[in-house]
Amino acid sequence: MGLIVQFQSRFQALISPAKTPPCIEIEKLHFTYPGRNVPTLRGLDVKVQRGEFILLTGPTGCGKSTLMRTLNGLIPHASGGRRSGSVRIHGVDVATQPVAVTCQQVGLLFQNPDEQLFCMAVEDEIAFGLENLGVPPTEINRRIDAALVQVGLTGFRHRSIASLSGGQKQRIALACLCAMTPQILLLDEPTSHLDPQATLDLLEIIRHLNQAFDITVIIAAHRVTEIAPLCNRVWLMNDGELISDLPIEHAFRSLEPYRQLGVQVPELAQIAEDSGYAERPLTLEHAVRLFSNDRIIEFTNGALKRYASRSTQHEPANNLLIDVRNLTHRYPRTSVDVLKGISFQIRRGEVVAIMGANGSGKTTLLLHLTALLRPSAGQIVIHGRDMKRLKPHHLAGQVGTVFQNPDLLLQAATVSDEVAFGPKNLKLPRQEIQHRLEQILSIFDLNGLKSEAPYALSRGQRQRTAVAATFSLYPDLLLLDEPTTGQDHDHLQRLMRMLCHAMKEHHKTVIFCTHDARLTLEYADRVLLLHGGELIFDGTPDAAFADPERIKRVSLLPPLTMQLAWALSEESGKGNNE
Amino acid sequence: MSTIPLHPHTKIIFLAIIGSLVILLDSPISLSVCFLASMLLILISRPLWGQIRLLILFVGLGTWGLIYSQAIFYNEYPRTLIFTLVSPSTPVIGQVTGGVHFYREGLLHGAIQSLRFNTTLTIGCFIIWTTQPRDLLLALIRLRVPYSLAFMVTTALRYLPLIGSEAMTVIRLQRLRGFRYLRLNPIHTISGILNSLRPILTNNIRRATHLGEAVESRAFSPEAATAYRTSVRDLKIQMQDAILISALLVCSLSVVGLKILYFLYANGLYYASWLRGVYTFVREVL
Repeated sequence: MGLIVQFQSRFQALISPAKTPPCIEIEKLHFTYPGRNVPTLRGLDVKVQRGEFILLTGPTGCGKSTLMRTLNGLIPHASGGRRSGSVRIHGVDVATQPVAVTCQQVGLLFQNPDEQLFCMAVEDEIAFGLENLGVPPTEINRRIDAALVQVGLTGFRHRSIASLSGGQKQRIALACLCAMTPQILLLDEPTSHLDPQATLDLLEIIRHLNQAFDITVIIAAHRVTEIAPLCNRVWLMNDGELISDLPIEHAFRSLEPYRQLGVQVPELAQIAEDSGYAERPLTLEHAVRLFSNDRIIEFTNGALKRYASRSTQHEPANNLLIDVRNLTHRYPRTSVDVLKGISFQIRRGEVVAIMGANGSGKTTLLLHLTALLRPSAGQIVIHGRDMKRLKPHHLAGQVGTVFQNPDLLLQAATVSDEVAFGPKNLKLPRQEIQHRLEQILSIFDLNGLKSEAPYALSRGQRQRTAVAATFSLYPDLLLLDEPTTGQDHDHLQRLMRMLCHAMKEHHKTVIFCTHDARLTLEYADRVLLLHGGELIFDGTPDAAFADPERIKRVSLLPPLTMQLAWALSEESGKGNNE
Repeated sequence: MSTIPLHPHTKIIFLAIIGSLVILLDSPISLSVCFLASMLLILISRPLWGQIRLLILFVGLGTWGLIYSQAIFYNEYPRTLIFTLVSPSTPVIGQVTGGVHFYREGLLHGAIQSLRFNTTLTIGCFIIWTTQPRDLLLALIRLRVPYSLAFMVTTALRYLPLIGSEAMTVIRLQRLRGFRYLRLNPIHTISGILNSLRPILTNNIRRATHLGEAVESRAFSPEAATAYRTSVRDLKIQMQDAILISALLVCSLSVVGLKILYFLYANGLYYASWLRGVYTFVREVL
């Protein structure tokens, strides 16, 4: 009898299609950071097959980055804390082997390239991991060249890291991982610091690595529109749990779970749902095939009209706030002007977006408006006063700035103290300070965090605290550098809506730097487009995006709604001709 | 600043030799020559204006601190009073300290000490500013400095300018939020400075954490580093390295020899009349 069972099982094994074992197996995974009582990961159970491309999304603080770190062994080896359950890579639990071994199988790319590159030259940076593994120098040389080819940066071997753009730096960081030939690539918000063109370039490289080398890819991201078309599976996380794990065909069938969590959904899927379609297109080609009827054309034209009307409905008062004349700036020890003779005027009550590729001079321009940088040539007049004669404290209460890195602003022991810091310095009456505090904590959804230490919050929460702390001064001019970084869609929309509304109500001016076309079209009255330090466009957002050539030149992309409208009208034009 | 094509070991040996030489020498003339030579090294490596300012600040503070403290606290005899800062008859302070005086011999001693200190400081800056961090790391490892320590040192050097610029941004942002650092109330100023340290520290701890994660994710481990780490770069001793080290060794051995001859003469152990010129040279110049 036993012999028959043995035979049956052998026969079964022979006739069944060979199923490869999963490359990642996560079982009952719980993790709690040191000093915390609430677990960040709660009972995750999931398997990943080789060659899969997974999008991991969820609201800020849901545990995406923590999950990534458990997969390459940084947790528990470099983190402390309590971990239970298991994470097996090719059948081996990462907790039982050193990170130095796991990292040869699992590469982890972090959000900010500047925080993961520490050598001066590209060659040294890529060689670092291989040298640590004891790879012979001749093999290191071969792998450096191969990795540079993979990320499309052939010829960059001897370049200095400092001379690279943000997108190139992130590609070098990816090359560092590729050189170690991992079978699994984990990418934690890899595009959040990149302009749209650099984002597409990086994603194309990752797609190629996935398809050509069968590398398993998991990308954690807030901005899903560009990533969704590449993946075959979507994980949605909330509060440390994997609440949905679906193949891409089904992942966006219902957008409600994403909306409830305030997570961004692919723009085209959103349009399809709004127009009553059951199918969810993720690429423009698919959308054009699907939407070739009047209803969608009407919808997209409506969106275009809405953008156009937004650009003109807020006629600013003829009250000049900023006058920039022939502004030129060159950083010390460099030979190139970062800003080249820029001139523009901004009136009170305007919301202005500054857009351009990484390194186009956006932040440099912003720093001039806060007197943190002095012009090499030209003049900036704010409130009728020449900025050359002003120091930052002369602008206290009149100009507020929030940088992309909010940490440089947060100095108080609690969120409440941080928000009240500015009004106290201005010696406002106690009642007024209290009133502002209550109002602002409510506007920025910070009431639940008011007793927390700002520096212990998540990235998105710190950004919100920094904006709230600056806004509490009710400045005439509020400057925001990349407000989208680290924010989930819901909080970003809420932040911008509240901020722009409150500022416009009091006839105050907002200037923000961004790569996000939708944000600009929804909130800005005007756009300044910078390219190589030159101001190449100053006008309404719909006009800025109406010229695809110009937009491409500054490494931006129009929102998909706009691209769809153009594609559909082109398609209908073709149809009419036929 | 441009990198100087010398092996990092040559630069480190150079520092060690000069460091020993300035201890052996005690004449203001020879020490001044050493200091000026070290400054010349800095100048030929085409420093940035910011680096010159930083060096001037360090040299200035070091010189002032050493001269001032030595001139005031000089305890040897004979000593010549130049002026009195606090008279012994001054109520409380004068009575407690017995008076604070400024002595000429102390001033001279402080000047000599400051020349020694500033020479080594300047050469230290020269090494750091003219060597690629990666070459320095490799050189330190070959000198048997533990890898973790060498890595920490070179990474810290790499990030120092960034930390400086962040500190300036924090100060400016606080001023933009209406905070005035300098007020009559010192508690206000001190608490403001301490609060400003928080974002700088937090930011650096966060950066260090991210950097640590990135480094560990690329197979860095102190144990592996010493056991089987390889290097794609190969640092080789060149002709100019050999010439410089030889010249320095000849020079320093000559000084040692001359000092020994003078020591024997001064202590009555050996005297040769044909060496009178040497004795004079050592006494006056070295």
